[in-house]
Amino acid sequence: MRVLIVEDEPRLAENIARSLRESAGFAVDVATDGQEGLFLAESNVYDAVLLDLMLPKLDGMQLLTRIRQAGHRTPVLVVTARDDKESVVALLNAGADDYLTKPFDLGELLARTKALIRRGKGQPSPVLTIGDLELNAVSRTVQRAGKYVALTAMEYRVLEYLAHRPRAVVSKTELLEHLYDYNWEKFSNVIEVYISGLRRKLNDGSARQLIHTVRGQGYILQD
Amino acid sequence: MVRNSIQRRLIATVIVSQTLLAAGLLFTGVFYTHRRLLSTLDAGMQARAMSVAALVRYTEDASGNVYFDNTLMPDSLDPGHPDLFAVWTERSGLLTRSSNWPLGLQIPPQGAYNRWVTAGGKIEYRVLRVSGVPVLDREEGMSFRPQTLTIVYAAPSFSMRRQTWLAAEIIAVASLFLLAVTVPLALWGIRRGLLPLQHLADQAALVSANHWQLRLPEDAQQIAELRPLTESMTTMLARLQHSFAQQREFLGNAAHELKTPVAVLKSTLQSLQHRPRSSDEYRAGLEQCLEDLDRLEQLLQWMLRLARAEQWAQGAIRRDLQVINVAATCEEAVERIRPLAQTHNATIHVSGNETVLLRADPEDLQLVWINLLENAVRYSPEGGSVEVAIMRNNSGPARVIFEDHGVGIPAADLPHIFERFYRGDPSRTRATGGFGLGLAIAKALVEAYGGTITAASAPGQGTRMTVELPLGSQ
Repeated sequence: MRVLIVEDEPRLAENIARSLRESAGFAVDVATDGQEGLFLAESNVYDAVLLDLMLPKLDGMQLLTRIRQAGHRTPVLVVTARDDKESVVALLNAGADDYLTKPFDLGELLARTKALIRRGKGQPSPVLTIGDLELNAVSRTVQRAGKYVALTAMEYRVLEYLAHRPRAVVSKTELLEHLYDYNWEKFSNVIEVYISGLRRKLNDGSARQLIHTVRGQGYILQD
Repeated sequence: MVRNSIQRRLIATVIVSQTLLAAGLLFTGVFYTHRRLLSTLDAGMQARAMSVAALVRYTEDASGNVYFDNTLMPDSLDPGHPDLFAVWTERSGLLTRSSNWPLGLQIPPQGAYNRWVTAGGKIEYRVLRVSGVPVLDREEGMSFRPQTLTIVYAAPSFSMRRQTWLAAEIIAVASLFLLAVTVPLALWGIRRGLLPLQHLADQAALVSANHWQLRLPEDAQQIAELRPLTESMTTMLARLQHSFAQQREFLGNAAHELKTPVAVLKSTLQSLQHRPRSSDEYRAGLEQCLEDLDRLEQLLQWMLRLARAEQWAQGAIRRDLQVINVAATCEEAVERIRPLAQTHNATIHVSGNETVLLRADPEDLQLVWINLLENAVRYSPEGGSVEVAIMRNNSGPARVIFEDHGVGIPAADLPHIFERFYRGDPSRTRATGGFGLGLAIAKALVEAYGGTITAASAPGQGTRMTVELPLGSQ
């Protein structure tokens, strides 16, 4: 999963980014002003955007309106210092999906971000099931036929992304975009390595293949 | 405990003035009646004295002697009548007296009006003297010089006294009656007249920190005497509301501004807590926390400074001021800002044509200069210069001008730069380490000294800040 943080207080952005990387295994990009934020958000590769309201160059409200007008469906979590009812209502009406007031709890921020990502991909439950595969996005564990499967961090992230979009073809580029920060291109060859590793670990003791290759298009996770 | 009441005072005034009026009326009435009766009595006495004079006749012998002709005495002068009279002639003295003239009564023919009271004090007489009365009886071809008479006529005046008393009684009764009618009327009028005041007070009682609107009652608005009060109440409320709103806004702003540094601190600590860390990570985290705390502390200090400056500007605090040299405080401020200027490779020039002295706290002025210099230096291009000019225009205020040749301030931001926490471009200010309070503090301090601060800027060319401080009493 890849998350964009638009926050002009570098310390805060850094803390949130570290926490998202460490605790959720997300790829995180940080924009320190509204214009940069808008530019990045419009690339449409993010699974969620964390947006501060008081931003230089382009304020958060305008940024939100712009990306919603452009038709981007990325879930947006607004992080604001204002907690009066009017501005919260205005925010939600402008297309925000959720909001958190500063100073917030990092754990809550993580949980809300994860929930937004799930919802954004049409998966209300944190436990995703494909056939006999079960992925718990909260505890970040994977079970196949009731047995835990030990995955590396990157393998988990690939599987998590695929599991959030079951029965859909996910290209290698899409995977790269959503798993790495913006300098993902240099990792372009590693996806195949992770996929084969995943197949090996998931198929241990089971003949049924879950990750299928669609030649020339990408991968598909289905029973 | 309310000691004074306008209503009571007005009522007392009405009663006292009415009573005085009644007394005055009584006095004038009695006086006038008395005078009228007296003049009527005198006129009657005069007429009767004349009729007595008409009884004096010349003797037939053409000697010029006179006699009193009793036979023609009118009814009014018969012996039973209480009036007394005596007639003197110029030539031979007392000619006659009325028959009822009391024995031993001496009324000399000279003198003015007089009174005489009978021996028992029973009856008071009014005495009239008429002298130089010619003998009315005259014949053709008189060879002698006509005689003149002096007549003393006295009549009892008790009826006049009685009538005066009667008049006094009538007036007194009428006055009492009037008082009895007008005092309640006045009370009613006063109560009614003061009613708008009561209504106004009722409305004023409804004003509170949450409800500033004073609804002026219709009747209170119609009253000229209440107009200054209602007007000053309205303006006072507007001022209060303004300063209240300002306080509230400051509190809101402050809380809002504090949220971000607190969020930074909290997130740093929470991310440390998320999983077990190595001691190096903990140390780095703690260092970060301390840095964040430093920033928070700085922000608090700035806010306190601003609060104090504003409090002082509003006259809440008084301090001992000393006579200081403006240029000296400027130089000190430049010294303090020097390290920052060096990182920007900026040069600062201070110029002044004369010594300007004024009464101030040197700390305050330094703070103003530092804030302005800091802004000027921060927004100057690398290697730019900042000019400070200290001037004094004859009797005018001291003027200190700070000029930089930096990026300038966009016209849209210019009217707001002195507002608390205003940041035209947050990224720029944050990058330069400001909180958006420096100019607000400078303004509050300058205004505390009765001065003004203005900014002029051309984007791309630079900014000029002008501080004017009244020299006042040194």
